[in-house]
Amino acid sequence: MKALRLDQADLERWFANWAKTREVYAPLEQSSTSQSISATRSYVDWAILRDGRFPVLDRGLPKSPIKKFFLPQPEVLFRSSTKKDDPDAFVLKEPEEQKDRRVLVGVRPCDARSVELNNLPFEKDPYFQSNRARTAIVGFTCRDRCQTCFCEAVGGSPVGTEGMDIAVTQLDDLYIAEVITDRGEELVQEGGGAPEASEEEISRLKESKEQVKSLFSSMSDLDHSLEAMKAKDLFALYNAPFWSQLADSCINCGTCTFLCPTCYCFDIQDEVVKGTIRRIRYYDSCMFPLFTLQASGNNPRGQKVQRVRNRFMHKFKYFPDRFGPFSCVGCGRCIRECPVNIDIREVLRDLLAVE
Amino acid sequence: MDKTSVHNKEWEPKIIAFLCNWCSYAGADLAGVSRFQYPPNIRIIRVPCSGRVSPNILLDALKSGADGVLVSGCHPGDCHYISGNLFARRRFALFKRFIEFLGIEPGRLNFSWISAAEGEQFAKVVTEVTERVRALGPARRLVKEI
Amino acid sequence: MSTTNTVITEDIRAKAKELLSSGEVKAFLGFTDGTLPMTTRPFVARRPEDAERLVWNSFCVMNLANYLPELLKGVEPPRGPKDPPPEGPLPKVGVLATGCWSRNIVVQIQENQVQRDRLVILGIGSRGMVDRKKVMAQVGGKEILAVEEGEDSLVVEGRGFKKEIVRGDVLRDNCQVCVHPNPVIYDYQIGQPVPAREIEGRFRQVDEIEAMSSEERWSWFQNEISSCIRCYACRNACPLCYCPTCFVDDSRPQWVGKSVDPVDTSIFHILRAYHCAGRCTDCGSCESACPMGIHMRLFTKKLEKDVLELYGTEAGMDPDVPLPLTTYKSDDPQDFLVTEAGGQASEQGRK
Repeated sequence: MKALRLDQADLERWFANWAKTREVYAPLEQSSTSQSISATRSYVDWAILRDGRFPVLDRGLPKSPIKKFFLPQPEVLFRSSTKKDDPDAFVLKEPEEQKDRRVLVGVRPCDARSVELNNLPFEKDPYFQSNRARTAIVGFTCRDRCQTCFCEAVGGSPVGTEGMDIAVTQLDDLYIAEVITDRGEELVQEGGGAPEASEEEISRLKESKEQVKSLFSSMSDLDHSLEAMKAKDLFALYNAPFWSQLADSCINCGTCTFLCPTCYCFDIQDEVVKGTIRRIRYYDSCMFPLFTLQASGNNPRGQKVQRVRNRFMHKFKYFPDRFGPFSCVGCGRCIRECPVNIDIREVLRDLLAVE
Repeated sequence: MDKTSVHNKEWEPKIIAFLCNWCSYAGADLAGVSRFQYPPNIRIIRVPCSGRVSPNILLDALKSGADGVLVSGCHPGDCHYISGNLFARRRFALFKRFIEFLGIEPGRLNFSWISAAEGEQFAKVVTEVTERVRALGPARRLVKEI
Repeated sequence: MSTTNTVITEDIRAKAKELLSSGEVKAFLGFTDGTLPMTTRPFVARRPEDAERLVWNSFCVMNLANYLPELLKGVEPPRGPKDPPPEGPLPKVGVLATGCWSRNIVVQIQENQVQRDRLVILGIGSRGMVDRKKVMAQVGGKEILAVEEGEDSLVVEGRGFKKEIVRGDVLRDNCQVCVHPNPVIYDYQIGQPVPAREIEGRFRQVDEIEAMSSEERWSWFQNEISSCIRCYACRNACPLCYCPTCFVDDSRPQWVGKSVDPVDTSIFHILRAYHCAGRCTDCGSCESACPMGIHMRLFTKKLEKDVLELYGTEAGMDPDVPLPLTTYKSDDPQDFLVTEAGGQASEQGRK
């Protein structure tokens, strides 16, 4: 694999060159500009990189995952009109395929991996695939571990490159960019290239990656035997007694699912506004009663406990049974943002303890 | 509504009027049979009582492109259902203040009491409301575009 | 070190244990420690030994009244939809209540969502809760690994820093302007009542916004909700939101589109807040629950201000005073009406 050596100025040059032909997104500080109100807020989230800003990489993960670039909220599936003078009124037509190319810069290994995981169920989805084809990922491997990280427990790695086109690793004074895909190579050319890394730098890269890996495993408080979950009996897990206690705390909001990189469930609806019809696909959440409500009025997941259970069972049992890996990348957003502090790692421990 | 049409003379405000069946609708009727002139900008929706009109309905009108909304019911004390308009009065007083607080222009939402005998009043209120909305221009802030 | 909160924690545990052991309550609703610094988790103790897990600290921000309607149903003996209710009194539930939460319980009683005789309320005078987002801002958004709470300060620690923060500086916005910190209904008092406060500028944030022009307010509103992801955490954290089908989920007619569209999101926030008019106690649960840091309690605060100004009532202060939108007076103000003489030219929102 090709490894290039860059300093910060080289990276900035790449970003500037890419911005000429693509939209470049990166984690950036989002501050509320509420005029005189004494209420302010600030967090890091995805935004267009411009004006010589540099991605904010030392404040943990951006607030939202990158799924919005692949599964936008909403995705317009079809358009039509109700206008009398339109010969094609009520004929649903796919919107023109979007061709604007994008680069996501500063994607962490967990988020990059989520695209690969979502690709499993969406393999044949033209919308997802078209978004994937036009979105390049320039990942940055991790150097620090947040207290909510657990990527290594669910099959990821803090220095993993799955899903990335280019993987950048920061060593103390320089960056090493590993070019992983052809699209990555294309980006390097567009960016203006960079010298190859020396033998010594590559060995430093390897050493640094090993260090981060051992840092993660030394801090991990989750058992690495999570694979054991796959062998467990579905009904034993389903009927475990701890679900009801979990449901006691849950308020059934959609924060965990909407901020989860690998929660991809959706609903479809037609909107008709002033003579225009569009059929949209938008996020849905298994936490909402409407998610499973049937036209007859029956709701197979009518109780809170059933809905809470579904999210975890889907991620750690139904999905792996069907596709192999867990549908979780261990980013920890749900732990951080849950209003009632439901901790997915605790749920995992409880699941592992089920006989 | 074409956004640029405010600049040409063709733009006319579209105002949705929710009129209660027992007073204001009859007031509108009286205005008609008495030949009182009023602007043709209102589209009347007859409701059983001003108390039937919820904020959902008002926002839906704005969202669908109405430039203004008028709700009219019986005078206090005259409600066919005794107190529907009195509940409505509190609801609208708060709601009007609230959405103006959030930045909807004052004048988009209008409320009045018009009895079945007040045909002339009806014409005057509609004229007043139409002028008010015309001065504001086409609604933009809560209009959904897809 | 013994602080007000640790003493309260001990008292809660003792009382909850007593109530659960004697069988007076079937479940006790409180908080237990969260897994991250500055978090707590609402927790239902069902056995006397669970009482040891209850805690009380400055991060108990979720309104417990929110859980009551469902929890009360949950402790009833199971029965089919057509079976008659069982004979004799239904089991009780114990719950903690500060000023605002107790007022929410009053509202729920008025709205027939809970029954007073099925609740055992442990009243706590609230010193105000801490906003963890404010604490994070104090350390520049760096990750906080440990927080130790003293009486009037917090010591926060992370990689390469340790900082002492004055508790008063990081109180939640709603707690800073709270005028009713003590519970209005309770069965047992835990700890000491908090001295009554006179707050200078109780509605100052609302006043600031009212002073802006209509355009400025609109851009403030749009900016505030621009990051909304429509997860409905604000709705679900709210003790007033118990409708079996929310207006958001209505489809015939559909009031609100379901994706992230500025107009739909605006309408969602307008209607959500408006549904709380005259019922909201400014407990701040919505704002604490919001993952994106939207200040949606400013919307309900405006309604609180107007209700007080127009009708002179505050939600949940007295079970015998009807909620403002469920009643009327013959002389309610109506200066908002259009008169044929062209009256009401003033801008209501600025008043």
